[in-house]
Amino acid sequence: MTGIAMPLILVLLAIAFAVTMQRIGAKTEATWPRRAPFLGGGLPETHAWQRFHVRYYPMTLLFIAFEMEMMFMYPWAVVYVETGIVALAEMGMFLGILSVGILYGWREGVFRWQ
Amino acid sequence: MNWLSALARGAEIPVFAVAGAQGLAPVEGLRRRPGLRLVDSPRHARVLLVAGAVDAAHKTALERLHAQLPPPRGTVWWQAAPLFARGEAVAGNDPLPAIRAAAEASDPDQRPDVPPHPWQGMGPHGQGGRGMMGGNPYGRPMAMTAEDIRDGLELDAYSARFGPFLPMLPPGLALDLTLQGDVIVSVTVVSPPFEQGVQGDAPDLCAARMLRLMGIGPRAARARGALMVLPKGSGMRRRLAAWLRGGTVAETPEPLSEALPGLEWAEAVLWLASFPPSQLRAVCMERQAA
Repeated sequence: MTGIAMPLILVLLAIAFAVTMQRIGAKTEATWPRRAPFLGGGLPETHAWQRFHVRYYPMTLLFIAFEMEMMFMYPWAVVYVETGIVALAEMGMFLGILSVGILYGWREGVFRWQ
Repeated sequence: MNWLSALARGAEIPVFAVAGAQGLAPVEGLRRRPGLRLVDSPRHARVLLVAGAVDAAHKTALERLHAQLPPPRGTVWWQAAPLFARGEAVAGNDPLPAIRAAAEASDPDQRPDVPPHPWQGMGPHGQGGRGMMGGNPYGRPMAMTAEDIRDGLELDAYSARFGPFLPMLPPGLALDLTLQGDVIVSVTVVSPPFEQGVQGDAPDLCAARMLRLMGIGPRAARARGALMVLPKGSGMRRRLAAWLRGGTVAETPEPLSEALPGLEWAEAVLWLASFPPSQLRAVCMERQAA
């Protein structure tokens, strides 16, 4: 019983701590015009996030979806004959989860040449 | 608490000065006044000082500036007609009493508290834009790469309107710039600098402005070193040396849209400061008339 209770209490404590910090933490009361970058009265045309634009993100997504999948399939192939249908089901679940990422990337246009 | 507020009242008032027409020389004069400190960003300022007339065309820009002062903020219109109903107007030669009064005031916001570019998602839940490389967060596109004009590498191009009240540019000059890193790729002059009259071209003021941009106080002892720092062949050394000797500069700058591309931001700012305001205005007006 304590084996389950202890982690559960820890998780609850962590959540309580996070929520409290969020409540008491600094809140910006800055208005929208105040939050704009100071350009002497001008406004930027491109978004400020461009400095932090992770361009390799779609590439990483594809890499994990296809390359890492293959990495796990090699050891799986070795034990597949011994383990049989259980291994097949497990790999099916694993590929199912990964394919969600591929579908997401597809929707966002990763496969389109830009 | 009384002695504390009395102490606080004795501190220098951080003022962000916007120079309008004929306002550059009076603002330079304020730098030596005790009791106030001219700051380079509205975020550090308590009082917005508008010195000299500002065109009604720059009303929105001025309102944005006003909104960027953290509250409590005050406004003083010094020898300028108020463009919006905040703060008070002063006509005389000394704005300090009005600035002191404004440092006690608290102007309400002038701009509405809405995003300047509201979110425009394309999806049914307002999510995302087009593809993972682009997208339009808050209505503004993410910068895409363009060929770098120096070495042909692909770098992010950042486009923005700089000015008309950026402290390092001549007052009134608004530029639509496209930058790659800090290299200027293209320039469009949106509005020319304000008329500054003969006072604005005074050699000591021009030299002081340039030295301040280089981070050097207006001390003649270090000015010789300042000349060595300026890039060779740009004429900046010649013009600063002339000003330091007390002479005037009558050189006409090239049109900005041809001279600035290829320069780094700091160099471009110095290059602009190395011409008297009247010459810069003349060049920008010519271009606008054409």
